[in-house]
Amino acid sequence: MPGMWTLETVQKVAAVDSAVWVDVLRLMVLARKVDEQVIRLCRQGQIRGSSFTGIGQEAISVAVAVAGEPDDLFAPCIRNVALHLGRGETPLGIMRQVLARPDGPTGGRDGNIHHGRLENGVYAMISHLGAMISVVAGGVMAKRRHGKDAVGVAFVGDGASSTGDFHEAMNFAAVFKVPVLVIIENNHYAYSTPNSRQFACRHLVDRAVGYGIEGLSADGNNAAEMYVTVRGIMDDIRTNPRPVLLEAETMRMRGHGEHDDFKYVPEELLLLYHRRDPIKLALRAMKAAKLMDDSAFSAMEAEIEAEISQAAKQALSETEPSPDTLTQGVYADA
Amino acid sequence: MPMREITYLQGIHEGLQHVLEHDPESVLFGQDVGAFGGAFKLTAGLQAEFGEHRVFDTPICESAMLGCAIGMATQGMHPIVEMQFADFITTALHQILNNAGTRHYRTGNAVPIVVRAPSGGGSGGGPFHSEELETFFCHMPGVKVVYPAFPSDARAAIVAAVTDPNPVIYMENKTCYRSVKEQVDDRIAPLPLGKARVRRRGEDAVVIAYGAMVHEALRAAAELQESDGYEITVVDLRSLKPYDLDTILAATAATGRVLVVSEGWKTCGFAAEISAAITETGFHLLDAPVQRLTAPDVPIPFAATLETRYRPGAGDIAVALRDLIEF
Ligand SMILES: Cc1ncc(C[n+]2csc(CCOP(=O)(O)OP(=O)(O)O)c2C)c(N)n1
Ligand SMILES: [Mg+2]
Repeated sequence: MPGMWTLETVQKVAAVDSAVWVDVLRLMVLARKVDEQVIRLCRQGQIRGSSFTGIGQEAISVAVAVAGEPDDLFAPCIRNVALHLGRGETPLGIMRQVLARPDGPTGGRDGNIHHGRLENGVYAMISHLGAMISVVAGGVMAKRRHGKDAVGVAFVGDGASSTGDFHEAMNFAAVFKVPVLVIIENNHYAYSTPNSRQFACRHLVDRAVGYGIEGLSADGNNAAEMYVTVRGIMDDIRTNPRPVLLEAETMRMRGHGEHDDFKYVPEELLLLYHRRDPIKLALRAMKAAKLMDDSAFSAMEAEIEAEISQAAKQALSETEPSPDTLTQGVYADA
Repeated sequence: MPMREITYLQGIHEGLQHVLEHDPESVLFGQDVGAFGGAFKLTAGLQAEFGEHRVFDTPICESAMLGCAIGMATQGMHPIVEMQFADFITTALHQILNNAGTRHYRTGNAVPIVVRAPSGGGSGGGPFHSEELETFFCHMPGVKVVYPAFPSDARAAIVAAVTDPNPVIYMENKTCYRSVKEQVDDRIAPLPLGKARVRRRGEDAVVIAYGAMVHEALRAAAELQESDGYEITVVDLRSLKPYDLDTILAATAATGRVLVVSEGWKTCGFAAEISAAITETGFHLLDAPVQRLTAPDVPIPFAATLETRYRPGAGDIAVALRDLIEF
């Protein structure tokens, strides 16, 4: 469970421009509502297969998106719709993606959260857990060779931390001192498998020692703590290039996907994290600091909801790709 | 232009040298490729010539190496990754099949990486240092596969592979490294991927081969001409994906009898693909069933007696050709 803030954290949070907190809150609400819209479409049978959301984990992606610079590169995973949105993907793009529309980011060639736009610095994931960490490392190496002071951020789950790819990439990045922040979103479960069956070390972040790099932990449900932590690391590795491991403690608030009733998660655990919902926590803090009030928040919600429902309507009105395009674009033209 | 003799290994080396010199976005990395010069000394001198920034050693992490290459390639670089032995790519197949191979189709982003795969057996490498895995890669959408047999092609194919905007598996045969030589000049002629080359012409039968088997086939053809007066066509495929069906069918039409030779495994192997393609589109051209001569479906054995039986050689090819011609 999250600990008390240190005086240092309190001071860092206090030093952040208040406009940042409004951006952070807005992006969390946007991501939550996009995910909720995806769930509705899924329930209506509009989406092929299941749907995967990041509900309850928004603060982690949002902190990274808001802290990122234009040249930075990102390797999001299945809980990071907020990262996509924070890097310029639109609700319409997401709706087209989940509905497999030709004008979506993968044009129906891939589904659900398997998308990303390189022009936004975002790599489209592949399902193979852990495989994207080395890709973002290579991308950052290239950017740096091209004279950009880019850093990278890769997101993985507690489950993905068990893969060989995770280990290979951490060691590789450490040897080459590549400025990548690897964030383990420890949401306690990998599908149905709890942490107790996933790893035997005390904390996943302890593995940093074995790679010869720094490891930090943060409360993944506290947007302010996440932001100052991530911002601090990204600023630091930008000028002093090296990988850093960050374990963000959080909770997956739904099933692995919408097909999963997640009965294996104890009710008490969900209740606990329900009280610690990242949006609720941020809103409470911002109200206390007079950065937000009920009417401004309602207006923000209404504006976001209108955009999302318009996006869903638009995407639903479009048709899936023509089967005649099946074999196009497998290769880039020589 | 003055001619000089180079080995197959020198051909690859010169191709790499050419690319590193002319393409500032190219880099070469792998295990022990830097100051040490690689397990086969193929990259010797390249780090000294182009610097540690362009030619560098990595830890032993095939997946991270390929992932890094994909990341670089999508940011405008042209990475060339040396696998110490083709056999070890198996620990990272998903990076080629799923990550590099699907990316352009899914996102429109090109992935111009070259993966060098020292392949093939014949010299006691045993089960884990002799594999011939072209079939795996040819099966992958979005991936191209080249497999030169001669030094000049080996050199030109490096340039072609790096220039191509797609993931290219560059198969290079270890037994050819120092045994195959050719007179070349300094000009690197462009090598279009997907174009075979007829190495010898005759009307009695055609052997379709690639890699080291091209040389075994040429020896068999010379032997048969000597012993039986048979005239054999030998097609050197050079590129396996895409492969040159036009040249294959033209040779089929000219001879009516086809033997496909591969040192890879038989079942579902690349020879099966060529055989099926000929039967599908050129059945009317055949005077006899297409024959395959491949390695048997067994792990690659170590003992010389076993490996010699395992791997197709000129003698086996001559026997198979005689059977085919006398069918
Ligand atoms: C290499 C690999 N093995 C198995 C899977 C199937 N799979 C998809 S997500 C998942 C659980 C992932 O758990 P975690 O990394 O903790 O991420 P979370 O879903 O909790 O965000 C599994 C087993 C996969 N995608 N990749
Ligand atoms: Mg998890």
